[in-house]
Amino acid sequence: MESSILVCDDSNLARKQVLRSLPEQLSAKTQIAKNGEEALVILRSQNIDILFLDLTMPVLDGVGVLQGIKDENIDVAVFVISADIQPEMQSKVLGLGAKAFLRKPVKTEILNENLAKHGFL
Amino acid sequence: MSTLNLNEDQQDCLQELINVAMGQASDQLARYLDTFVHLKVPSIEQVDAQSLSNSLKDEQMAVAVVSQGFFGYEGIRGEALLIYQPKDSDRLADLLGYEPEELSVEEQIIDLSSILTTTFLNVFAGQIDNQMSYSAPRLLSSTKSLVSEHLHQLSFNWDLALKVKITYQVTDYSFNCDMVLLIPESAIVNITAVLNRILDDF
Repeated sequence: MESSILVCDDSNLARKQVLRSLPEQLSAKTQIAKNGEEALVILRSQNIDILFLDLTMPVLDGVGVLQGIKDENIDVAVFVISADIQPEMQSKVLGLGAKAFLRKPVKTEILNENLAKHGFL
Repeated sequence: MSTLNLNEDQQDCLQELINVAMGQASDQLARYLDTFVHLKVPSIEQVDAQSLSNSLKDEQMAVAVVSQGFFGYEGIRGEALLIYQPKDSDRLADLLGYEPEELSVEEQIIDLSSILTTTFLNVFAGQIDNQMSYSAPRLLSSTKSLVSEHLHQLSFNWDLALKVKITYQVTDYSFNCDMVLLIPESAIVNITAVLNRILDDF
């Protein structure tokens, strides 16, 4: 089955790091968003299975996206990938429904581990 | 005058390396102050030696400047300055005052600055397969005077300043400080090479 994946990060390098870390066996259609607002537009109009979400972004940050997903009942598995590693931030995003919190720069094995844990591999 | 002359990809790469370093430095700050720090995207600006004094115009009223040298492999080295404004310094004193210790406010500002600088640079260096060592942090000023005077006091020769504007919002308090990295010509060449190496990987 093909998964549809959205990578939301304001950094081109960070988006590439995520895309490069995606396992080959995860046959996926990938899209990108450069801020939270762009991500919500895509999430509202298309079925996205997995969202990789940065937190510190211009326009609308990752917490705003998680709140939007919650408020609008959007069905998507969110993996937060962030440099803001404070424990309080981690519990905040998990409380808002994120499946996992991964620290930047993301490592391939950690990404795979978490995808497998949540049934995507 | 030397500048990094970064293209869009190199700028983005540097920004992301700095974001990751900032994130961990803020985590350390949060632990030190036992509070939560709201992070903003840091703005990065390149300033050459001649115009740094002008660019620091806003900072001329700085009350505290903490300076610390850093040395890595492959000629990556420089001097990191953390610059606090009077209102921010006062807030910092309030914040630090929450946990009365035997240290003076000056000593605590040095400690805090050193935590920010070394965590930031350690994480930055780690991402480019480098490793830093540091000189002891020095408080250059505790009274109102020109930052440019302190710059002239540095024996260190530098060609470029990378100015990273850091805003930490700490719960009810918010304070800002500027981190300015002064970098010599040899290190500039090397940093650009490192950015290209990372970008070539993709």
